[in-house]
Amino acid sequence: MSEKITINFTVNGEKEQREAVVGHTLLRFIRNELHLTGVKEGCGIGECGACVVLLDGKPVNSCLVLAVELDGRELVTIEGLSKNGELDRVQQAFIDHAAFQCGYCTPGMILSARALLDRKPNPTDADIDEALSGNLCRCGAYQEIRGAIKASSGK
Amino acid sequence: MLSYDYIKCTDLRNVFQELEEGQQVYPLAGGTDLIVGMRGGKFAPKTLLDIKDIPEFNVLEENDQGITIGAAVTLNEATTFAPIRDNVPVLAEGCHSVGSYAIRNRATVAGNICNASPAADTAAPLYCLDAVVNIVGSDGTRSVPIREFFTGPGKNALNKGELVQSILIPRPYPEGKGVYFKASRTGSVDLATVGVAVQRWGAQVRIAIGAVAATPVRALSVEKAVNEKGQKDWTEAARLVHDDISPITDLRGSREYRYHMVEVLVRRGLEQTMGV
Repeated sequence: MSEKITINFTVNGEKEQREAVVGHTLLRFIRNELHLTGVKEGCGIGECGACVVLLDGKPVNSCLVLAVELDGRELVTIEGLSKNGELDRVQQAFIDHAAFQCGYCTPGMILSARALLDRKPNPTDADIDEALSGNLCRCGAYQEIRGAIKASSGK
Repeated sequence: MLSYDYIKCTDLRNVFQELEEGQQVYPLAGGTDLIVGMRGGKFAPKTLLDIKDIPEFNVLEENDQGITIGAAVTLNEATTFAPIRDNVPVLAEGCHSVGSYAIRNRATVAGNICNASPAADTAAPLYCLDAVVNIVGSDGTRSVPIREFFTGPGKNALNKGELVQSILIPRPYPEGKGVYFKASRTGSVDLATVGVAVQRWGAQVRIAIGAVAATPVRALSVEKAVNEKGQKDWTEAARLVHDDISPITDLRGSREYRYHMVEVLVRRGLEQTMGV
């Protein structure tokens, strides 16, 4: 079935109106319709966090959200974090701390971290571990990731 | 690509016609179990009925009766709701044990019980708190105790055309500490191999356990020994839990391992809530 529904939403600060295929996930819609390919598909069942985006400011697994559920909501992807060509401080901290190797998990990691710092500017190690509990890194850069988030906190 | 119709309902009155007349109509709230199940072929809905923006389902409040958790309230919203944290922290622990932070931003408390997994992390705390499930249908509302809501693996007490409207944590709240222990293969983002909730009520204790039978169960043998017979040896008391459970072997653990872990966790729970 390829039924489409018109949806209105905000993506990275811009208001948009698009047709969304009812059978598509938000993940597929972001990559194939909005052409924002920072978001990645890993497991497709909500366990790895490579597809994390911010929906109304909260990190969610976009593989477990339907495209049509975006209607009326505000979406932020990794492409929306930098402002006027300047990286968000979490992005810069990930570079400074070499907090990735292959980079596949990085967009989801950074968005989960951004949301954490927005709700808790000075997170403890336990807060960081909880916030990133759904973000897996197969390269095992967890120590560096935690370091990058700590370095970008409290500002 | 998945194939289904999508209908968004924002008025409770319009829900029941769709539910009763449609074929294979599935309510969609958080979707975290539903969408995974659709991908895996477990569920094949013809219609998804998005109910998460119905105002009645978004209630999260405390009043004279207790705490009401609407059907669309997410696990993170419940975990951080002050009356839950302050009065029934055992439930906050259970909610917090489900999935990951991002999952809990979508998944709902009501969805956790409607999915009716015997391993549902909110179930054991809700059993200890004698939660009440408020059900709504075209004929009106009815309420069932949480212990009657779970009827088997993946099966609940809802009839066709009915939905959970909310879950009530009734007053009086427990006096004393409550804990939820979860044994799982990984530290987070895994289903419970076993889940044990132990809640003190003054001099009494209530214990409920998940993933050890077709539904969550109360450890009534242990409760009786402690509450009625005055058993103070927690090791002896915990041993009685074998009479209350009938675990199976599956990919998360063997039957024998479950018996062992439940006994250990019940003893630990008694120590931490009732004193060493």
